[in-house]
Amino acid sequence: MKLLTHNLLSSHVRGVGPRGFPLRLQATEVRISPVEFNPDFVARMIPKVEWAALLEAADTLHLVEVPKEPIQGYEHDESFLRQMHHVLLEVDVLEGTLQCPESGRLFPISRGIPNMLLSDEETET
Amino acid sequence: MAAVPGGRRSGPAAGARFFCTAGRGLEPFLMREVRSRLAATQVEYISGKVFFTTCSDLNMLKKLKSAERLFLLIKKQLPFNVSSVSKGKILNEMQRLTNDDPESWLNAISIWKNLLELDAKKVKLSQKNANPLKRKVGENDIIAKKLKTEQMQEIQENKECQLEKQIEEETLEQGNFTTKRDKSQEELQNDVVEAVGTHNQNDLTFRVSCRCSGAIARTFTAQEVGRVIGIALTKQFGWKADLRNPNLEIFIHLSDIYSVVGIPVFRVPLASRAYIKTAGLRSTIAWAMASLAEIKAGAVVLDPMCGLGTILLEAAKEWPDVYYVGADVSDSQLLGACDNLKAAGLKDKIELLKVSVIELPLPSESVDIIISDIPFGKKFKLGKDIKHIIQEMERVLRVGGTIVLLLSEDHHRRLKGCEESSVPLNSKGSRTDKPGSTECLNPEGKAAISEPASSSLAASNQERLDRMPPFGSLVPVERYRVSLGKTDALIYKYRKLHSPGQ
Repeated sequence: MKLLTHNLLSSHVRGVGPRGFPLRLQATEVRISPVEFNPDFVARMIPKVEWAALLEAADTLHLVEVPKEPIQGYEHDESFLRQMHHVLLEVDVLEGTLQCPESGRLFPISRGIPNMLLSDEETET
Repeated sequence: MAAVPGGRRSGPAAGARFFCTAGRGLEPFLMREVRSRLAATQVEYISGKVFFTTCSDLNMLKKLKSAERLFLLIKKQLPFNVSSVSKGKILNEMQRLTNDDPESWLNAISIWKNLLELDAKKVKLSQKNANPLKRKVGENDIIAKKLKTEQMQEIQENKECQLEKQIEEETLEQGNFTTKRDKSQEELQNDVVEAVGTHNQNDLTFRVSCRCSGAIARTFTAQEVGRVIGIALTKQFGWKADLRNPNLEIFIHLSDIYSVVGIPVFRVPLASRAYIKTAGLRSTIAWAMASLAEIKAGAVVLDPMCGLGTILLEAAKEWPDVYYVGADVSDSQLLGACDNLKAAGLKDKIELLKVSVIELPLPSESVDIIISDIPFGKKFKLGKDIKHIIQEMERVLRVGGTIVLLLSEDHHRRLKGCEESSVPLNSKGSRTDKPGSTECLNPEGKAAISEPASSSLAASNQERLDRMPPFGSLVPVERYRVSLGKTDALIYKYRKLHSPGQ
């Protein structure tokens, strides 16, 4: 699971609503692997990023050189884009958990895939 | 009518004439694709085949995504009249296919050789740069497996007598075949080029693959026709027949609409992707769905019932600068998807989640595009109501976003909320709601139907569409009926016009 994905995920435990974001990340196995740098793609992802959630997750994983916020003219700032590229796409959480901040429910991450299936009692419908 | 081959330019200078077979319902996609990808001209759709002219080389031709197989055209002519003529007379007629205009055969073969030689040069060039000892793992294995399948397929076809009414459709059998032949598609083509190049035309070996449908299939078997043509070819050109490993493959289709002769351009059908290890949904349909979704760079694309990930794989290959997410509830499917991603080299482009489509852990309006094949049939027990599924999709989709779904008839009925007992009739009183239904509009069996056909097909599609109500804020935009082999399904495209509840 990349941090770009973590940034998108929200807990859907019953009654939690928007307080289910962001999920607290715990990682027991992380893999850093190079991904081809595509500045255009990264630039397009920046506006979608929830920064507080990203910084929290990056902090948990002890990542360094994480930009605190988008800078002016980021679209053309290669150094900024490369840093964001690394944080969002090159860090892969293989094993760990995601925790709903409101209910405390834990969702396991296994082989890089988060399991967010809820039991029938937990779902909203 | 093959054109004179070109010189230094990539591909034939004046353009060569090709035809593709396509699954029923995919013809409009294929026509669109050859125009945009290959700058094709003189594009015609006739009875299950799309004919077109293009200057593209093998590299570009290889990229066609909505076609089943690709052939270089040797001959297309009116169908053989089998009504009141003796069998012997018809066989004589058939010989004229080879005897009347030998130039067209030689021209086509010349073009074909040129295409292969050009490609072989490129391959040799790239191989020089690469480590000669290191084989391209993965793709080669997949191709070898599919070649074996293809051979089995052809042997079966040559034995069968095609009496079907449906327009031809090649189906690839998924089975367990041990791969003994390790050669890649490229290496095989190199072999062919070498064989073809070093000998003169008289030493060419060939094999005829014949298909008969309609009236002619009731009089002749494919084998008979193949034999007659084979003998005529040997007589005319001096080539020798080789059923096992010929240089040249000849494909003939005799139907009520036309007689078509061509050379298959690739050994493996285009529909068989080198980059897909295990296909779930047919890749041509997966690509066609993705092509409708208006995928743009920087989009967030979700397949919440991704299965083995076929749709995402096809989309990611074509539109790479996009963030793809696949979700499924099944561990085995996700494992298979993971395998597929690795084999295709797309692990970095597609993320996987184990989540349920009716409970997506995503904020509302966070996704730009949703593409999904909604499972149906006995294999899948859809415990969830189709309406709930689409409701959840609607929630996570942003306003202005698109949804492209593959629905069964059953899903379709449930969504419309009423029982559809009969297919609507068009003005001529014939049933138009069939994939590739152009023939129904022309009961006299007129052969050439070009541009107007696609619009009348679209018109009948549109008519049905008007009856499909919007689903909350999702408005139906386009729909296509496609064949999945044994059943039909519908590709539906929706757009979200406003937030639900507004």
